[in-house]
Amino acid sequence: MALTVAPRRAGEGFDRPWRRRLPLLPALVFTVLVTQIPFVMSIWYSLTNWKIVPPTPRKFVGLENYGDLAGDRFFRDAAWVSVVMTVSAVLLSLLFGTLLAVLLDRKFFGQGFVRTLLITPFLIMPVVAGLIWKNQMLNGLYGVINWVLNRVGIDSIEFVSRYPRASIITVLVWQWTPFMMLIVLAGLQSQSNEVLEASTVDGASAFGTFRQLTLPHLRSYLELGALLGTVYLIQVFDHVAVMTGGGPDSTNLPYFVYQRSIGGGWVFGRASAYSIVVVVASIIVATVALRVLSRLLKGEEIA
Amino acid sequence: MAAVTGLVGVAVASAIGSTTMVDASTARRAASAPAGAERELNVAIVGNPQMEDIADLTPDLFTAETGITVNYTVLEEGTLREVVTRDVGAGGQQFDVVMIGMYETPQFGSNGWLIDLAPYATDDAEYDVDDLIPSVRAGLSVGDAMYASPFYAESSFLMYRQDVLDEAGVEMPANPTWDEVAEIARTIDSDDMAGICLRGKPGWGDLGASFTTVLNTFGATWWAANDDGTIGEAQVDQPEFKAALEFYVGLLADAGEDDAANASFNECLAQYRDGQVAMWYDATVAAGLLEADDSAVQGMNGYALAPVQETEASGWLWSWALAIPQNSPDPDTAWEYISWATGPEYIAASGDLIPGGWAAIPPGTRLSTYEIPEYQEAAAAFAEPTLTAMDAAPIDGPGTTPRPGLPGVQYVGVPEFQDVGNRCTEEFSGVIAGRTEIDDALSACQDIASQASS
Repeated sequence: MALTVAPRRAGEGFDRPWRRRLPLLPALVFTVLVTQIPFVMSIWYSLTNWKIVPPTPRKFVGLENYGDLAGDRFFRDAAWVSVVMTVSAVLLSLLFGTLLAVLLDRKFFGQGFVRTLLITPFLIMPVVAGLIWKNQMLNGLYGVINWVLNRVGIDSIEFVSRYPRASIITVLVWQWTPFMMLIVLAGLQSQSNEVLEASTVDGASAFGTFRQLTLPHLRSYLELGALLGTVYLIQVFDHVAVMTGGGPDSTNLPYFVYQRSIGGGWVFGRASAYSIVVVVASIIVATVALRVLSRLLKGEEIA
Repeated sequence: MAAVTGLVGVAVASAIGSTTMVDASTARRAASAPAGAERELNVAIVGNPQMEDIADLTPDLFTAETGITVNYTVLEEGTLREVVTRDVGAGGQQFDVVMIGMYETPQFGSNGWLIDLAPYATDDAEYDVDDLIPSVRAGLSVGDAMYASPFYAESSFLMYRQDVLDEAGVEMPANPTWDEVAEIARTIDSDDMAGICLRGKPGWGDLGASFTTVLNTFGATWWAANDDGTIGEAQVDQPEFKAALEFYVGLLADAGEDDAANASFNECLAQYRDGQVAMWYDATVAAGLLEADDSAVQGMNGYALAPVQETEASGWLWSWALAIPQNSPDPDTAWEYISWATGPEYIAASGDLIPGGWAAIPPGTRLSTYEIPEYQEAAAAFAEPTLTAMDAAPIDGPGTTPRPGLPGVQYVGVPEFQDVGNRCTEEFSGVIAGRTEIDDALSACQDIASQASS
C-alpha cells in the first residue's frame, strides 16, 4: 500500500499537531489547576509561620520551617516508623502471600471457595479491619486471642497498648497478603508446564525445583508486588488513627502531618513544610520505582 | 442557545427561591411563637450519659413544644474538640450550638469566636441567670461577658466501695492524702478486683486532667510563669514532676485496673459498676451514675475529697457548656434551645424521665438543683461532697507555684496546652503500658513543652 502525502500548504504544518492536542486541553488544564494550585498554596503556607492556636497572622518567614525540620526529632521518629512499618508489612505479606500462592497452585476440592475466602481480608475497609482487630481480636479484656491464651494458662496481653507498631503491622499484613498472593499466583501459573515436567523427569526434588526454576521466574512478579505494596503502604493512615491514635511508637508520616495540622497541633505553616518534604521524597521514590518497573516490563517483552 | 436559555431560567428561579427564603426567615425572626414553622438546629455534643439523656428527651420535651428540630452530632471528646475548634475558629457554620468546656470558653470568647450570652441570659426570666453557681458562671465568662451556659459542672473526688473497705478492715479519711490512698489501694487489691481505677488514656482531658491534679498537689507543674503571665520555662525536667509520674505509674502498676493505658471515664465507670475495681478517682458526675437506679452498685459507695499531698485541696473544676459560634445564622433560636437545655425546667423535668433516675440528672450548675426534694433524697450520699469539692477547687492557686495563662486546675489555661498535653500524655500512657521508659518519656515531654515557651 503506498502512502500518499498531501502537499503542505502554508500554515498547515503548525495547525495539524495542535488540532490533535486541542481536545485534550480542557482536561489537562483542569488537572493542572486542581492538583497544582493547592500544591503551590501549600508551598506558600510552608514559608509562613501560620498557626491558629493561638491565632497568629500569617507572616513570611522564609525557609525557617525547613531549617527547624532538620532538627525535629519527632519528624525523624515518624519517618523511621513509616520506614519500619512499610518494609515489615511488605516483606511479611510477600512471604505469606508466596506461601499461600504455592499452596493454591494445585487443583483440590473447593479450590475456588478457599481462594475467595483468602482474598476477603483485602476487600475489608481499612477502618473496619483496624477496629475488628483492636476491639475483637487483640483487646486486653475481652479479645479472642487473649481468650485462647487464657485457656492455655497464659495471662492476658494488652497487645495494642504494649506493642502498638507490631499490632498495626499485623493488621496490614493480614490485609495485604491476599494482594501479594494473587500476584504471585499469576506468576506461578504462567510457568510453562514443560519445564516443570522436565525437571521432575530429571529427578529434581520439589524444593530444588522451587528454588532453581520457580523463584527466578517469580522475581519480576515479586518485585512488582513489592513496589505496588510500598507505594500504598507508605500512605497508611486509617489503621494508625483507629487502632492507636498516634503515640510515639506508631505515628507514621501521614498521621504525623495530620496531627501537626488539623489533628490538634494547628501549626499549618510547619505542617505544610512536613508535607512538602514528604511529597518530594515520595516523588523520588516513585520515579525510581517506575524506572525499575519499566525496565522489568521491557525485560519481559524481550524475554 | 437553548442551553443558555435553560441556564438563565435556572438562575432566575433560584434567585426567586432564595429571596422567598430570606423573606421567610426574616418573618420567623420577627414572630416569637411561630406555629408550624420548620426551624432546625445543629448541635454538637460530647457523648457522656447526661448528654445522651437530653438527646433522647429533646423530641418530647422541646421539639413538641417549640417546633424546633434539634439535630445532635454526638462525638467523642477529642474529636469534638478538634471539630469544634476547626469549625468555630474558621468562622464556619456547621453548627448552631456547640458544646465546649471550661478550658476553651474563655479562650474562644477572648478570640471573638463566640456570641456573648449575657444579654440573652439577663433578659430571659425563665433561665434565671442568678441561679447559676457563681464559680461555674465565672469560669465560663471573661469579665461581664458570659460565653457559654453550663450544662453540667463538676469537680473531682475519690469514690470507693464502702463494703469492700469494711471487709478489709480499712477506713478512708474524709480528706485523705495520696500516700494513704495508695496504701489502701495496695491493701485491697486482688486478682478479681483491682484496688483503684485511674485514667490512663492519652489526651489532655483524659490522663492529662487526672495526672495534672496529682502534679499540682505534688508541688510540680508544666511551665513556670513569666511576670506578664506568658509561658515560661518548661518544668517537666524537675524532680517533683518525675516523682509525681513515678507515683501515678507505680500505683497503676501495683493496684490499677486492667489495660490502664486505654482507660478513661467511661472505661473506669464500666469497670466500677461491674465490680472489677474497688476505688475510683474521677469526676463528681460519676457519683450520679453510680447511685442511679440502674446501677449495680447503688448504695454501696463512700465519697472522699480529692487526695492531696502538699496542697490543701486538689479537686478540679470543669463544666461542659453550650455556646453559640459567632457566625451562627439564627442566634435567637439557638438561645431558645440553650435556655431550655441548661435551664431549671429541664433539670426539674428530667429526673422522672431518664433511666438513671434523680441521681443521674445534670449536676453542679444551679443552686436550685440542690433544693429539689427528690434530688436531695436520691443524691444524699454525694450531693454534699460534690458541692464541697466544687467550692474547694483551688482554681486560683492549684499548686505551689504560679501558672501562666488563664485560671485552671487540671489544665493550664493557655491554648498551647491542648497540643502539649496530648503529646505528653501519649508518652506517659506509653510508660503506663510498659513500653516506654519513664526517663525517655520525660525528656520527650520536656522537648515538646519547651517549644511553647516564650
